Amino acid sequence: MAGVSEAATGHAEAHAHHPPYLQHHFVSAEQQFDAAKLGMWIFLATEILLFSGMFVAYAVYRVWHPEVFQAASKLLDWRLGGLNTLVLLASSYTVALAVHYAQLGDKKRLVQNLWLTVALAGVFMVVKYFEYSEKFHHNIFPGGNYAYEGLQLPYVGQFFSIYFVMTGIHGLHVLVGMGVLTWIALRAQRGDFSSEYYTPVEISALYWHLVDIIWIFLFPLLYLIH
Amino acid sequence: MATQTVATATTGQPEIHYLNHAKGLKSWLLTLDHKRIGLLYLVSVIFFFIVGGILALLVRAELFEPGQTLMSAETYNHIFTLHGAIMIFLFLIPAVPAVLGNFALPIMIGAKDVAFPRLNLASWYIFWLGALTMLVGIVTSGLDTGWTFYTPYSTMTSSGVTWVALGVFILGFSSILTGLNFIVTVHKMRAPGMTWSRLPLFVWGLYATSIVQILATPVLGITVLLLALERIMKVGIFDPALGGDPVLFQHFFWFYSHPAVYIMILPAFGVISELVGTFSRKGIFGYKFVALSSVAIAFLGFLVWGHHMYVAGQSATASTIFSLLTFLIGVPTGVKVLNWIASLYRGSIWLRTPLLYALAFLFVFPIGGFTGIALGTLGLDVPLHDTYFVVAHFHYVMVSGGLLAFLGGLHYWWPKMFGRLYNEKLAQIAALLIFVGFNVTFFPQFILGTQGMPRRYFDYVPEFTTLHQLSTVGSWILGLGLLLVAAYLLHSLFKGQPAPANPWGAGTLEWTHTGRIPSPHNFERTPVVTRGPYDYHLAEEIFGNGHGDERRTPTVTPAQGQAQH
Amino acid sequence: MAHATHHIIPRPLLLKVFLTLVALTIITALTGQADLGVFNFLHVPLAIGIAVIKASLVVLFFMGLKYDRPVNALAFIIGLLMVGVFLAFTLLDMLYRGDIGNLSPEPIRGPQIEQVEAPAGH
Repeated sequence: MAGVSEAATGHAEAHAHHPPYLQHHFVSAEQQFDAAKLGMWIFLATEILLFSGMFVAYAVYRVWHPEVFQAASKLLDWRLGGLNTLVLLASSYTVALAVHYAQLGDKKRLVQNLWLTVALAGVFMVVKYFEYSEKFHHNIFPGGNYAYEGLQLPYVGQFFSIYFVMTGIHGLHVLVGMGVLTWIALRAQRGDFSSEYYTPVEISALYWHLVDIIWIFLFPLLYLIH
Repeated sequence: MATQTVATATTGQPEIHYLNHAKGLKSWLLTLDHKRIGLLYLVSVIFFFIVGGILALLVRAELFEPGQTLMSAETYNHIFTLHGAIMIFLFLIPAVPAVLGNFALPIMIGAKDVAFPRLNLASWYIFWLGALTMLVGIVTSGLDTGWTFYTPYSTMTSSGVTWVALGVFILGFSSILTGLNFIVTVHKMRAPGMTWSRLPLFVWGLYATSIVQILATPVLGITVLLLALERIMKVGIFDPALGGDPVLFQHFFWFYSHPAVYIMILPAFGVISELVGTFSRKGIFGYKFVALSSVAIAFLGFLVWGHHMYVAGQSATASTIFSLLTFLIGVPTGVKVLNWIASLYRGSIWLRTPLLYALAFLFVFPIGGFTGIALGTLGLDVPLHDTYFVVAHFHYVMVSGGLLAFLGGLHYWWPKMFGRLYNEKLAQIAALLIFVGFNVTFFPQFILGTQGMPRRYFDYVPEFTTLHQLSTVGSWILGLGLLLVAAYLLHSLFKGQPAPANPWGAGTLEWTHTGRIPSPHNFERTPVVTRGPYDYHLAEEIFGNGHGDERRTPTVTPAQGQAQH
Repeated sequence: MAHATHHIIPRPLLLKVFLTLVALTIITALTGQADLGVFNFLHVPLAIGIAVIKASLVVLFFMGLKYDRPVNALAFIIGLLMVGVFLAFTLLDMLYRGDIGNLSPEPIRGPQIEQVEAPAGH
């Protein structure tokens, strides 16, 4: 047969040692892992582009009204923002450790680090809650609803629109991440993962790092305008 | 091997294939099979196409005479907006990738399925969730902003913008998941020997489309989200009454929506490449250029969105740069069109319905393309902007891209989807009706536009009556052609003649390596690919020994025209 | 079988990266508050530069992109590239608004709010 021939081996070989986590349409565990990981990286690219809209709005309004952004930024507490940065960085570290232990097949430390990550995410949200409620208390709302007596400038509302929408969408991502990591932690406790198969741990960790990266940019852009 | 694929048909044993291996509604609604998901999408987009088409006929009917003909101006605003929004978000964007792509892509690269079958099914449910969310807004309070949702009108109107915006946001996820799935599938799921230079051009088209879907759609998401927040919370980013900038909205919107044009056209290019290759029996002239020009268009498409905003208050500096970049798009597009023509040249043309659609495309699309260059010219756009010239231009691009390529592809893959042939004669008549109807509908609109007929008006001066009536009559011819398509395809679905495994003598894997109707896992064994998709001279399984009576497949029925070949 | 290509990043390296990130956070917080005198124009490039370094550390080591397949990096980089395109072209328009001379460079203002000098902080 000159044209297309068929592999008698490929398929049968894959079935010979068929691990339970291998889905039928993949030839090998390696292919499945690579596909999942590429899928996650592409998803992260879409996440970056989702946030890019807010970054563009930020850049436009900051270029137009730098003095307003400077004044409005002072209403944010940079200490709380900095604390939250450290909290998220720590959670990124613990989730990286979780992947490390998953690769080594150390179930106990994997589970510990996953729960630690979830806990740190919880700390972040608690701090965020206090920040938000303090703002609402002072009638600092986004856009047209901004009514804080202490700072009345045109376009302050835009700064807080950007602040609330950016940190709001980011916070939503933190909540989603907490949910995902809790699920992964429960699965890890159940013993779903091994040094052979830890794809869900790794791709959830990738997602969590992205949440961290977004905050790495939000912190100086929103809290540290001099 | 080629005989193996049709063995069951000759022995008369009931075949097991993807349509009949599991039965019942549940087996369809919970299916993870890319082919079945493609058919779920097929039914869905056809439904929305019918809705959008009826709205289009209503628009044309209202414009049959000056003044109020059928409906009030307000109703007209709702009708044309819904026509645009439904056709774009619920038909054109999913049509080719989600229906034909889902069905054919994994088989074409020799995979058992897409990389993430569950996400694939999820994307269909998300599609319906988004569509229904849109519908809530439309049914409760209508939509009268035009499909572009320009602020500040969209932040002021009492129509259902918020719901529709949320619906579009949800639909975006569906589009992203399809794109993500296809990219990973093409990267990771190719059969042994299926190198990048052996990918069928339809796969290249879908790959380029997926890049655009992934990179552009999230920005649409944040745009409509901000629009909804503008209405709910008065965030003031876009609303000038609150200090926002409406031109910024247009930047956001067109950063997605210009590339979205390529979401509609790139897969269409892929379909046309398959049709031209198969029915000219010669292979695609300049395969590499045709393949890579898709990717080039995908990226260049991101650099030109400002050409929608020449008269919106954008700076002249930006407009000039956007105009220059717009001309660049003409280069890879020209490469494609000229290469298709070169592929047909001295080919062994087999004039079947799918090729008729491809030829119609080759006539219609360049008209859309050239008028696009005209509109991209800064000075020329100022008088033509927001006239019927623009309406005619984008219908020439999108209807040729979306509809003609979709119909061409549907007629091409129909025998593989359902294992049945359709009535060739009726199909050719319908293709002719559609081609004539389309041109009669939209060509007069170019003239109307140059004469100054503005778009989105329900009334006009009496001088325009003749051309408007011509256009409306054209819409009836177009509608008639589509009705005919529906009629013979429905007939074929239940009573059509059984199709052989490879009725067109095509060279791609879905024809050469699957049964009449593909089995649930597509292949008996993973194929090993040793030739390109259009190397007809190497494809023994298609042409036998390469001369004489080409088909070894015993089930080929000459009745439907194989004999004339 | 999975082990062959999967790079396991050593714990000391992860710890070093984490400590560097903490140090950079402290630096950015301090420089962000400080008055740099004639160098005040450096605030923005400094803040963004440090953020880029921090993000790169996370991407390269925590996310392991340094040891990963190039196609994953490509996906990520193309995403960033498009953010650059979006930002660059939109700002290009914003900065040249009104260059034909018949348009105000700034958007139409909403209801005029009386300008009040704000007390810094609260």
